[in-house]
Amino acid sequence: MAGASTDSTPAGVLESLSNDLAGAVERAGQSVVAIHARRRIPSSGVHWRPGIIVAAHHTIQRDEDITVSLADGSTLPATLAGRDPTTDLAVLRVDGITAPVARVADPNGVRVGALVLALGRPGPAVTASLGVISAVGGEWRTWHGGTIDRFVRLDISIYDGFSGGPLVDAAGRVLGIDTSGLSRGAALAIPAKTVNRVADQLQKDGRVSRGYLGLGMQAVRLPAALIERLGLPNDVGLMIVSAEPGGPADRAGVLIGDILVALDDAPIADPAELLALLGADRVGKSVTVRIVRGGEVTNVAITVGERPQQQRSSRRGR
Amino acid sequence: MTPEPLALALAELAERLRRSTVEVRTGGTGVGSGVIWTDDGLVITNAHVARAETATLVLADGRTLTGRVTARDRRRDLATIAIAGGRSVAGLTPATVGHPATLRTGDLVVALGNPLGITGALAVGVVHALEPGHVGRPRWIRADIRLAPGNSGGPLADARGRVVGLNTMIANGLGIAVPVTTIARFLNDAGFRHDDTGWRAA
Repeated sequence: MAGASTDSTPAGVLESLSNDLAGAVERAGQSVVAIHARRRIPSSGVHWRPGIIVAAHHTIQRDEDITVSLADGSTLPATLAGRDPTTDLAVLRVDGITAPVARVADPNGVRVGALVLALGRPGPAVTASLGVISAVGGEWRTWHGGTIDRFVRLDISIYDGFSGGPLVDAAGRVLGIDTSGLSRGAALAIPAKTVNRVADQLQKDGRVSRGYLGLGMQAVRLPAALIERLGLPNDVGLMIVSAEPGGPADRAGVLIGDILVALDDAPIADPAELLALLGADRVGKSVTVRIVRGGEVTNVAITVGERPQQQRSSRRGR
Repeated sequence: MTPEPLALALAELAERLRRSTVEVRTGGTGVGSGVIWTDDGLVITNAHVARAETATLVLADGRTLTGRVTARDRRRDLATIAIAGGRSVAGLTPATVGHPATLRTGDLVVALGNPLGITGALAVGVVHALEPGHVGRPRWIRADIRLAPGNSGGPLADARGRVVGLNTMIANGLGIAVPVTTIARFLNDAGFRHDDTGWRAA
């Protein structure tokens, strides 16, 4: 081949970058699999640990009759080990898989401006798109109550097979799992640290448990006179608009129309704040919610239940 | 690697491709693009760009020339235009033609054309997928690159500026290019012959 890839002349710079990117796709693509668990186009997954495939929950649209196609063209049966709708991750077990496992990058590589490739396998061939990491933030909570260790937003085009595929750096090392199913179709990456944590739980228990009260709530503004008279911590509370019959809060005597203002002395002004306080560690334990009912403050002790598992997702995304 | 040589390299690449890219007008609305294939005035474009018998071609240096559509293959969506005057037209710069077999998924690709009427615009992306075609049908190059109407018939080139395909359509946001191997078959079918000096009308 003419033109050495290490050439430092202007033209050589582009060729060298091109070779790096194609090399990254070739290496990382070996651990990217096609998952047949929905109609029409297969979705992508990553051989994360020996015999363990990580995928995007919202692309796994059935729990049985799942097969996985590897880079070498072979197809193997897979079983669903578990799914966590709150982080949009699912784990599959595949026996006798020969593909190499993904090489995970140092998390320091997750920086704004880092050149990245999103890989997928929505069919026999690996696909690639090029972009950059456009924003990086701290730990965040998804709309469904899951905890993601870092917020990683991508400036990259989303095509079929994006979700469940790996986000890789220019050396072909995996920075996380891509998904368009967590934030209104935006291109996000779930960092490797979160993938490891969720995969541990799914491999062990088949699910990621969350605390559950069985309440539907709506934020409401409280009158100033009431705040002053009762010494309330916030000017906003959560009005109970539904209570699951026989659910944890219903059994404890919480009524529709009650306004929840605090949980274990922590002021609550947003349903997300409540979700944040209902981790797996709370399941089976008692919490005290402070509610406003009939113009007076009442404390109610609730034994936290476990959130029922959502089996399938109607969330859209590619 | 510092950004400066990268920017310089892209600018050089764009300039080189621009000299081999022409704007194609055949009357009616919209413009397309074409690639100068030989120094005697053979231009390759899409059949859906070369709709009429004659075309007006605008070179990168602003010269306006006329051309005659000499071959059209609707199935492959390819056409040839012969620039009036042929070899006597000075300064026609044929594109350097590469080979799609050297492409890998993830390779950088650039497109030049006139998207939405913007003359000589550059787009940069990567090869999204290279899937083997069925027997008797062309294989497409799918690129993660931002194209628009007006890119049709323009070059898709690799990191060395070698043309590997002709931008032909946009599907699900992906740029779809006809590979130059298909162009070679088309030229052969249209009666052109290839020798050491390039393609010649037989």
